[in-house]
Amino acid sequence: MKRQTIPLLLVALIFTLGCPKKRPPAVLTESGQRAGAHAPATATPEPEPEQPVTEGPDIAAVPRGNPSGEDFTVNDATGENGPLEDIRFDYDKAELSDVARATLERHGLWLQNHRTAKVTIEGHCDERGTVDYNLALGDKRARAVRDYLASLGVAADRLHTVSLGKERPLDPANNEQAFAKNRRAHFVVSR
Amino acid sequence: MRAQVTAGELAVETRVFSVDGRQVMLSKRYSGRADNPRSFAHQASDDIVALTQYRGVARSKIAFTSDRDATKPPRGKELYIVDYDGFNAKRITVNNSLNILPAWSPDGRSLAYTSYRQGSPAIFVARIFEGRSDNITKNEGQAFAPTFSPDGKRLAYASNKSGNLEIWIANADGTGAHRITSSHGSDTAPTWSPTGQEIAFTSDRAGSPQIYLMDSEGLNVRRLTTVGNWNDAPAWNPSKEYSEIAYTSRLEVGGPIRFDIAVVDLATRQVRQVTAGRGSCEYPSWAPNGRHLVFSCKRGNTWQITVSDREGRTIDTLSAGPGNNVQPDWGP
Repeated sequence: MKRQTIPLLLVALIFTLGCPKKRPPAVLTESGQRAGAHAPATATPEPEPEQPVTEGPDIAAVPRGNPSGEDFTVNDATGENGPLEDIRFDYDKAELSDVARATLERHGLWLQNHRTAKVTIEGHCDERGTVDYNLALGDKRARAVRDYLASLGVAADRLHTVSLGKERPLDPANNEQAFAKNRRAHFVVSR
Repeated sequence: MRAQVTAGELAVETRVFSVDGRQVMLSKRYSGRADNPRSFAHQASDDIVALTQYRGVARSKIAFTSDRDATKPPRGKELYIVDYDGFNAKRITVNNSLNILPAWSPDGRSLAYTSYRQGSPAIFVARIFEGRSDNITKNEGQAFAPTFSPDGKRLAYASNKSGNLEIWIANADGTGAHRITSSHGSDTAPTWSPTGQEIAFTSDRAGSPQIYLMDSEGLNVRRLTTVGNWNDAPAWNPSKEYSEIAYTSRLEVGGPIRFDIAVVDLATRQVRQVTAGRGSCEYPSWAPNGRHLVFSCKRGNTWQITVSDREGRTIDTLSAGPGNNVQPDWGP
């Protein structure tokens, strides 16, 4: 039960803190396609009760998506160094630790604030396991992360999972520190 | 055996006599261009072995995955094929993505494999003599570990299209895809029986990864392995002579985590250990005649393709070239 209530409180917090103070009047944005590119300025917004719909006669409905042209960095060409840090897993486990949950809650907040960002969640394993089993384990890790982010209110269509198994270790070294780094969910952010 | 080169033309004569010298069991003359003498030796070798009840493997090829050409991050993996003796390596994929888990078609003209070139892992079939490669699992979530049915008409693979990883079967061109397992665990690593009527696979539905059997419609599922808490990567012996499945097993409890190759007899359920003390070995595949195994072992810091007889009496590292060489599949 404790695990149920914390995310809900956080969702509330996210929506309180996460909404931009001032919304520009523009209807069409980079993500205007989703709102309907030819929609009139008074179009009804997509149902999203947490979003303010109108704030006055001179302010039109705010479409879903980023209203202000978001500024964020994405992962580099190697797929590393993105805005969302990795979370780690225990050996042969796909369960989220408390530390992992806390990190994912920050990621959920970031994703609420950067609504044009899409994320590929990669599930990785250390090399101490068989090829096929590790692909299955990486799949479970990525899905556990996706499900938790979705439970925080991130739209499922912004989250994509991929299992890398033990095929692309972050650190190829053969020791406990490298193994710990390689048991991870990694986030590749795109616009 | 006698060999002679005249004007770029190689002629090899092979004769086999019975031990008492009275009977000529084989007499053959091979001739052709002299630039590939190894192919003469392989042909002659297979003809000699054919005098026994067995098929030779000297002209067969082994496909595998290697990182040898990955020069910068993100580190890619490509598919390669080599002759059964490790020579004559040829690169098959050239896309700098991850290309893994190759599986030969029974006619030796295609390789099915898993590729991340379009982002999500999908099943591709490469027609290796035409230089073509097609994605046969479009819009199907993630798909891994394809394997051709013995008649080459169908593929079994693992896909998470329905939520978690299950075993799916499709025609070799990807049409008619349908799921044949349904469990809360992850079902992976399918392998066909020589008749095509049964499939063995790995599932962690009972808590730890174990090998299960079912018929190829997905019915009559039963657990095969009971020894050890980690069994994976089943490979069904393709010969009708031996009814057995090779697999990867964690046989030692405690100590560093490492794996060995084991074989379970399907009639007696007796398990025999093929590798011991060679570092960690995994991912076995049978030679087409069912008398040899190939797998990958990590000794020191690199993974190398390793071959053995089916008992594990003779085990050799194949000199398949630089890099980490893994996931071998022994083809026709």
